[in-house]
This record gives sequence, C-alpha cells and structure tokens, in this order.
Amino acid sequence: MTAALAPARPEAAAGRTAFAALAARELRRFAVNPVFLAGLGMITWILVTDPGGNVPEIDAISGYPAAFLGGFGMMAAFWLTRSMNPSEPVTGVTPVTLPARTAALCTVAILPFACGCLALLWFIRLHPVGLHMYGAFSRPAQVAILTSQIAVPALGGPLLGVALGRWVRFPGAALVVFLFIFGWVNLVTVPSLFHPDSAPVTLLRMFSPFAFFTLRPIHGDPSHIIAWRGSPWFFLGWQLILCAIAVLVALLRGADGRLRSRIIRALMIVAAGAMIMLTLAGTGGFAHPVSL
Amino acid sequence: MPTASITLRDVGRTFGATQALTGVGLDLKPGITGLLGPNGAGKTTLLRLLATALPPTQGQLSVLGLDPEVPAERTSIRRQLGYLPQEVGFPRGFTAFAFVDYIALLKEWTQPAARHSEVRRVLGLVGLSDLGSKRIRAMSGGQRRRVALAQALLGSPAVLILDEPTTGVDPEQRVTLRTVLAEIARTSVVVLSTHQTEDVAALCERVIVLDRGRVRYDGPVTDLVHQAAGRVWLADEPDPEASVSWRTGTGRYRNVGPRVRDGAEQVEPSLEDAYLLLRGGSPDHEPREEVAS
Repeated sequence: MTAALAPARPEAAAGRTAFAALAARELRRFAVNPVFLAGLGMITWILVTDPGGNVPEIDAISGYPAAFLGGFGMMAAFWLTRSMNPSEPVTGVTPVTLPARTAALCTVAILPFACGCLALLWFIRLHPVGLHMYGAFSRPAQVAILTSQIAVPALGGPLLGVALGRWVRFPGAALVVFLFIFGWVNLVTVPSLFHPDSAPVTLLRMFSPFAFFTLRPIHGDPSHIIAWRGSPWFFLGWQLILCAIAVLVALLRGADGRLRSRIIRALMIVAAGAMIMLTLAGTGGFAHPVSL
Repeated sequence: MPTASITLRDVGRTFGATQALTGVGLDLKPGITGLLGPNGAGKTTLLRLLATALPPTQGQLSVLGLDPEVPAERTSIRRQLGYLPQEVGFPRGFTAFAFVDYIALLKEWTQPAARHSEVRRVLGLVGLSDLGSKRIRAMSGGQRRRVALAQALLGSPAVLILDEPTTGVDPEQRVTLRTVLAEIARTSVVVLSTHQTEDVAALCERVIVLDRGRVRYDGPVTDLVHQAAGRVWLADEPDPEASVSWRTGTGRYRNVGPRVRDGAEQVEPSLEDAYLLLRGGSPDHEPREEVAS
C-alpha cells in the first residue's frame, strides 16, 4: 500500500463524452438484467414455437411482445434506475447531473426497442401482412398496427420504467403499473365489443398505451374478422408522444433553472400534441367497422 | 494555478422551522481543517453546503471562486470536488472496483484505461487493492467505509469534504489515511468532520467547533489546546468543581473544569480536554461567550 498520489486527473472530458460513456455503461447493465433477459427469453421461445401462417385472430398473439419486451423491460428499467438511489449522496455531487444520468438511462430503451423491431420482422415473416386475419386494413396500416403492438411498447415500457424509477419510491411500483396497464387496456377494449360503431368508445379504446384493432366475433361466422374504427397511424403517433412524455417526466426530476423551464415547456407542447394525436386516432380510420 | 479556497459569508441554512446553521463565516485555504461539535451541531449540514449537495438559505458561499447556486459553476466545482458523506449506500451486486469505477465515470473519467488505473490507485490508497473484486455487500463496515472514501479521493480533488471518514476504520488504516490526507492537503482544501479528537489533533492545523449551528471556535488546534492549559487535573475521586470527570485506565479520575483545585495534580491537556472545556462538559450545555481566537 502506498500513500503516493498520482497527478491530478486529465482534463475533464466534455459532458457529451461522459454522457456517451455513461449511456454505454447503463446499456450493459440493462442487457444483463435478469428480468429483461427473462422477457427476451420468453418472447424468443414464443416466436420460435409459433407455427406461423393464418391464425383465427392475430390479437391473440400480437400482445406477447408488448408484455415481455415492454412490460418486463419496464420492470428492468425501473430496477436499473432505482439501483443507484442508495448512492445518491455521492452520485448527486458529481459533474454529471441527475437529468443527464436520467437521459443516459433512457438510452437503454434502444436495446429492447431493437429487440422489438427484430420481433416485429420475425412476426411479419411468420404472419405476412395481407393475410385474412389482419382484417380489412390496408397493408401499410397492418404494418402500422403491428408496429404499435410489438415494437413501440418495447420502447415505451422501459422509458416508463425510468420515469417511475425517478419519481416513485415504492419498490413494487413497476409491477403494479404493469398490471394496471394490462387491466386498463382490457377495460377500454370491452366497450368496443358491444359498441364498435361508437366514436366515443373508439376514442376510449385509443386512450391507452396499447390498442387492439381487430375482432373475431364470438357469435356468427368464426371466419369473419371485424376491423374496428380508429387510425393505426395516428395511434402510432400517440404512442410515440407518450414515450416522449415519459422521457420528459423522468428528466424533470432534479432539473433546475433554465433546464427545468425548458422541460416544462416541452411537456406542455407534447401534451397538446398528445391530445391532437389521440383525437385523430379516435376519429380517423374507417368510418364504420368493416367486416371481412 | 490559483490557490484552492472556500469562502462563507454569514451563511445560514434552515430546514422548515429548524435553524441548522446561523451566520457562519469562514475562509478555508489548502490544508486540513477539522470540524468538531456535538450531534446536531450542524456539521453535516455545513459539509453538505460545502459539497454543493445543499444550497444555503442565507448568506454567500463561494467554492474555488465559483458560485454553487449557478448550475454551470456548480458543475465546475463538482469537477474538482471529492465528497464522503456520513452515510453511503451501495447498489446491490457491485464490487468495490465496479462501484468506484462507476463514480469515476460520473466524474468524467471517460478513458477506460486511465479510469481503471485511477480506480486501482485510490483503492490502493485506502488499502483495498486486494479486495477490488469483492462484492461490497460482503465487506465489513470498515471496508465499506474505505470504498466510500476511495471514491472521494478520485482525481486528487482540489476540495475534499469528508464526513466522519474514520468511522469503523481500524487504527492502522487510520494512520495510513492520515498520511494520504496530509499529502492531498498540500494543495487541496480538506475539511473533515469527526468525533475523533485524536484525528483532528494528529492531522489538522485548524479546527472549527460548531454548536447549535454556530461557530464556537475557529482557529489553530494548538491555540484551542492551549486554552485548556492548567484546567485539567488528576484526582483520586471525581471533582465536583470539574465540568467533566472520568475514570482513566490507571484508576484515577481525569477532571476538566474552569478552575483547578489547589494542590491538584495538573496534567497536559489534550484536544479532547480543550473541546470538552469549550463545550462546558455537557452535550446539552448552553453555549457561553464566543471563545474563538
């Protein structure tokens, strides 16, 4: 052991370099998180064992990637965000501010999103667009629906996890929110089963981070697929804006001065954009449900 | 290179209705300054202010000539700051090396080779070279304290704020730590809070005694000790005239008080005696007039 001191550290690197290095470190930590790996393993197993081709109802299987990449990703990101909280007295007085650390954490969502995109491509390979099970939607609209159901939740879930980790102290918050969203999505879908032609009911169904767009009738001809009202494209926009809101809310923690004002201003703009997107998603698409 | 310094002008800090610090004025230069005081005196609050973890509610604080209230300047201060808080929690699953490496990253050591080398260096300074790969959760309290200390030493900071650095650290490590701090203090402002008066006596040129949020004494350690000269004596029984008495290992009683009984066996005062005398011998003693030099 020696008491000799090395010369002072080299010139402090630019904040951007430190941010990139920190983001890479957080990405590596996220990549080995057991919850994320479990979700990734589950979705891989589901896709590997999926025989592909036409299925009676695509909604019965398109929700799995959202649950295992988005939901599990949210819980992993929540854990990752909270993991350094005990060391906050030390980390809180380093040159990398809390919002910068939060931003670095947000970048980990790239990994589950990339997995979501791969899952989407794999899914489309197994169940090519244009099959009867997608209903009367155009082929681009079918891709938009699948993107909103597979790839975007894999991005939004982890971002929500970071926001929760920054603001909520309860250690089980991510699991509670995961169950809440699951219940919420199903709850807002139920009225569409009984009132598929109603604009307010469509709007209600769109007011969710995840939405179903087709239905196989319980009664009547089982080969029929009903394409519901609502615009898949604007719903995609709504989802992406929800992702932006999650990022901004996460960044707000610990932000002060001009940065805080900027984030609040951005939040107001994004919230207005969310309202517009939701309205367009609820009122766009087919004028009436279309049966195929 | 400009000399490192910290300046406080009439600094105060309140927490709701509680006044933790009142009218603190200090000029801190390179060297080691010890901070003494009873529990709740405001030591940790003062250190948190110096470490930019907390803004003052009154007065002006300048660290290295920069204003910590201005975000950009606060970041500049933090680039030159090492801080050991009173309590540090560690993330689950981290080894000592991984933790210090993570903090080094947050201190903008972005070049992996240089960072790893620096992490190894500071782990060596605190005597943990061989335990870098050990999980922190599996370490003893003293070892964890040294891991926390290692992160504060990263980059030989111009300002080093240490809140009870030797708690739980064994005597040999404390001696080593003193050597390390003395080396850093050649060019850096080192402020350490402790309840170990022997650490202050061994390390610090200057001592600040805080009591109920106010500075009771600020001056050289030797001057404070000198104030106790002729006020410490040994006796076979606790002396009712003394402010504080305790039984020593020899079976006799060491008495500290404002007046020595005639014929009593006087002894050389220690910093602890001087501190107790200043405090009036009781943790709840009402502060008297300022004794600061």
